[in-house]
Amino acid sequence: MMCGQAKELMAMAWAGNEPDPELRTHLSVCSECAADMAQLSLLWDRLGDIPAPEPSPALTARWESSLESIVSARRGTSWRFSLAALWPQRPVWQVSIALACLIIGIIVGSSYPRGKNEIAQLREEVAGTKQMVALSLLQQQSATERLRGVDYTVKMPAIEPDVVAALLQAVKADPNVNVRLAAIDALTRVSGDAGVRRSLAGSLGMQDSPMVQAALIDYVLDARDKDALGVLKDLTARPDLNPLVRQRADRAVQRLTEYK
Amino acid sequence: MTAVARGNLSAMSDIYNHCHRALFRFFFRLAGRQTVAEDLTHEVFLRMIRYRHTYQAGDGFESWMYRIARNAFADQLKKHRLESPADEGQLEVVASGRPSAFDDLSKQQDLATLYRALRELPEEKRELIVLSRFQGLSYEQIGQIVGCETGTVKVRVFRAMKEIGKIFGDLRKEKAS
Repeated sequence: MMCGQAKELMAMAWAGNEPDPELRTHLSVCSECAADMAQLSLLWDRLGDIPAPEPSPALTARWESSLESIVSARRGTSWRFSLAALWPQRPVWQVSIALACLIIGIIVGSSYPRGKNEIAQLREEVAGTKQMVALSLLQQQSATERLRGVDYTVKMPAIEPDVVAALLQAVKADPNVNVRLAAIDALTRVSGDAGVRRSLAGSLGMQDSPMVQAALIDYVLDARDKDALGVLKDLTARPDLNPLVRQRADRAVQRLTEYK
Repeated sequence: MTAVARGNLSAMSDIYNHCHRALFRFFFRLAGRQTVAEDLTHEVFLRMIRYRHTYQAGDGFESWMYRIARNAFADQLKKHRLESPADEGQLEVVASGRPSAFDDLSKQQDLATLYRALRELPEEKRELIVLSRFQGLSYEQIGQIVGCETGTVKVRVFRAMKEIGKIFGDLRKEKAS
């Protein structure tokens, strides 16, 4: 027997087991283990003489009070506990039930394809309502309301032809400069549409506000609308044109010519 | 405990009556302070209610209870690192409650030194001595509680005894000189 095994057997002997015969044999030939056994067994016994402390009566009073409050609180919410009792306590079952619910949900969800159509239909209806609101606002007497209408079109995910037409009409004929400027900004999203560009370039000659003229010049330049060169040249030929607008128009003509 | 796990919380009274002394002594020997030991004992019974669903009838109740107790003690250590261990004076207070006709001064002093040696053991070794010597648990149960093989527990208990023997010897020499 090795000393390592003897250590285990010594611990067994301290725990009240009859000393193993092999241990006895080992102790008779190993003086070191024999000394350990003698000294530590004595110490083990002496440890048992250390007095056992007692808890104070306050501990029991405190526990009884805690238990009473827990039991009475539980009685008060017994229906909740009875519902909770239906829920399994083992995590394995909890996970299984959660997975089963998920799978059932996926199966039920996928068996209703019309749900997608309903959502798309609902989206269309919402977009239609927004469009109606925008068009209605653009018809208002108040410039502030018309500005709100233009702002509404900016927030729409896509601009419908009716709305584009209403914005073009606002650029052409709205009496308020701010509404016209806002409408030009709103139409930036559809600058790829040749019809819109043509219509805006055409309205350039009708504008009397230098700010709107400048905004329209920027628009055709940003859109690289070479078809607007003629309108721009006509504009620069006007004797009453604001010098700053003229300067801007000349630069636009030059740059559009370069694009050619 | 099976009744408690099924929802009969009143059955905790019997468990308390049966186990609170043992738990208190476990904590007292680990922490060395009466109030801390009482707080922890109370906490363990509350945790038994809270975690009653983790008790499985096949497992030993004592092992389950001491696992909860160890966790409570570890949490306590994390929260408030326990202050200096109880000194010999505290042992005398404990001993004074139950005087024995055979006790003499020398024996009392010897026991106080032994108690001090126990207090000076590293925590994990002290825990093994407390579980095996004072709480009367088998090495198999201790293995389940601390999460190691029974053979490993035996070797560790031997080493802990060897170390306490050395500390005890040093303390006696210190006193004699």
